[in-house]
Amino acid sequence: MSSAIEISGLYKKYKGAWSAALDGLSLTAEKGRITGLLGPNGAGKTTCINIICGLVRADRGSVQIFGHDAGTQIQTVRSLIGVVPQQIALFENMTALENFRYIGSLYGIAQVTIKERSKNLLERLGLAQHADKRVGRYSGGMKRRANIIASLLHQPDLIILDEPTAGVDVQSRAMIHEFLKEYQQAGKTILYTSHHLDEAEELCENVVIIDEGRHIISGSPKDLIIQTRKQTDCRKLEDVFLHYTGHSVRD
Amino acid sequence: MKKITATLIKEWILLRRDVAGLLLLFLMPAILIIVMAMVQDAPFRDYQEIRFDLLLVDEDGGSLAREIKSGLKASKNFHVIDSLEGSALSSGQLQKLLREGDYHVGIVIPNGATAEVVNSANIIANNISRKLGLGGTMPSRSTRDNRYVRMYFDPVSKPTFRTSISFALDRFVTYSCSNLLVQRISQLSKLAGDSAEMNDDFRKVFAGIGIKEEVLNDTQGDKTYINSVQHNVPSWAIFGMFFIVIPIAGHMIREREDGSAVRIELIPHALRLVALGRILFYTLMCTLQFWVMAGIGLWILPLLGLPALYLGLHAWVLLPVSFAIAFAATSFGYFTGAVFRTTNQAMPFGAISIVILSAMGGLWVPVELLPPVMQRVAMISPLHWSLEAVHHVILRNGGIGSVAGHILFLMAFGTILWGISIYKNVSRARGI
Repeated sequence: MSSAIEISGLYKKYKGAWSAALDGLSLTAEKGRITGLLGPNGAGKTTCINIICGLVRADRGSVQIFGHDAGTQIQTVRSLIGVVPQQIALFENMTALENFRYIGSLYGIAQVTIKERSKNLLERLGLAQHADKRVGRYSGGMKRRANIIASLLHQPDLIILDEPTAGVDVQSRAMIHEFLKEYQQAGKTILYTSHHLDEAEELCENVVIIDEGRHIISGSPKDLIIQTRKQTDCRKLEDVFLHYTGHSVRD
Repeated sequence: MKKITATLIKEWILLRRDVAGLLLLFLMPAILIIVMAMVQDAPFRDYQEIRFDLLLVDEDGGSLAREIKSGLKASKNFHVIDSLEGSALSSGQLQKLLREGDYHVGIVIPNGATAEVVNSANIIANNISRKLGLGGTMPSRSTRDNRYVRMYFDPVSKPTFRTSISFALDRFVTYSCSNLLVQRISQLSKLAGDSAEMNDDFRKVFAGIGIKEEVLNDTQGDKTYINSVQHNVPSWAIFGMFFIVIPIAGHMIREREDGSAVRIELIPHALRLVALGRILFYTLMCTLQFWVMAGIGLWILPLLGLPALYLGLHAWVLLPVSFAIAFAATSFGYFTGAVFRTTNQAMPFGAISIVILSAMGGLWVPVELLPPVMQRVAMISPLHWSLEAVHHVILRNGGIGSVAGHILFLMAFGTILWGISIYKNVSRARGI
């Protein structure tokens, strides 16, 4: 299976920071699979995502997205990826449909197509009856779902989700998971970050654990549990995570 | 083009739902213009149309006092009060009334003032008679007394008010003295046996000579537009237009904070076009703001008893002028939103910088009254160029040629700031 994301020796140190956010990070995400990018706070997950989508420039290293270099072909890369940021990146004083119409237009999608895609996605994520309400009046879970739709209007081949279920209820989370699985079955690649390790264990076919900007371990959740069990008492992905990243609190 | 159109629609949706933003754009400047035009209406009319109560004490009782009194009474600027409750006003009463603040100005014509003027006129007439060999003489004495017409002011009166009143009175005194002199010379001429009819009215003698105020313009030389509306509407409309900095910078920072700016950045080739769409939208809104303010000057202010705004002989020139001002104001807002990270930084900067630029630019005090250094500094204020351009059109009846330089400056100012903002936006994203 070929790679959707190929990251090699990525290094980034922010101005004024006393340590590097990414320190030679390398990882691979295969096409058509859901890959979990896991790590404690400050491990470098968001920096890694920002470099992939060209929001931050790396000091060293390379990022290839479907064979395109993210450093030099960022516009091509951006057309291939859909990023669901941690924040609700929507205009709160506009309705969901108005947001989608605007965002779709900026992607150069025809209005008819935007309408059709929005309708499908709104129905699929349970927002059809709220399409004409302002996003600012949505609940936290509804905002998260609308945030996902806005990132999928241009039907990207790679979807990057930065903690898409933060602060949502169990029902919304289940709906998002189900939707992502369907999307993956349609041949799309998904890179997923979350602090909910049970969620990653259930959803991801492959996980990459990073800490202090470095790759620690990667593999399928099942393999990682078996592998770690040889060294310590390990029954779930969270045990693997704690074994490799330690118990100390991160800021 | 579709991306720009989409941004125009999006900005319109956001603006029409932002009641506070709309109020800031249209209602606040409208109130500002109405209030300032009404407040400044009085100073503009002070010495032209308003009648002041003027206390007058006549201790003289002679022709000089009569001339001054009748001159003041004939003037449309003064309401002469020379008696209280049926009896003539005294110098003591006058000073008391002024001290109490009931009146602001009073004059006392001292006893013997006419006699002193007559004596002076006679001396001059005799000298002329002697030199011309006319033969006749008028009675005169060689000793001269000081008989100044004294003016008293309420201590709170402004210096400009004092100067204006003093100037008006001086005119009447000068006229009386000159008139007396002409009469004396005329009398001497008759004494010398000259039977020719001689005009002894000073005003008639010098008819057609003096000062006549005219306003320069193309065809309507007799029309004057020196009023508070003509001066305040452009000034405060421009001031209000530049306050668009607040909503623009606020929106930009809010979009960065809530993440919607990141969404735009992630869309290929969208950032610059969205920026262009936003600038265009706010420039159009700001231009509309100018015309709404002009509309207030044309139709609302006359309903409040103020003169109507006159747009000059080439009113269409205000279209490119207002667009250029709007572009400069919008770009300044975009710049503020791009440079500052938080609304706490951007809002005070936006508001205070506009106040500073407007003070520098002559919106409050005419540039020609500023010290030489400030006059040079004024040249860098876009508000100065904005006001000058509008003044060219509405006060000097200038055409497009007279404001081309101003439009160019404003467009260049806006383009430079816009360029810096785009660079700043991109570099901020890359260097987080």
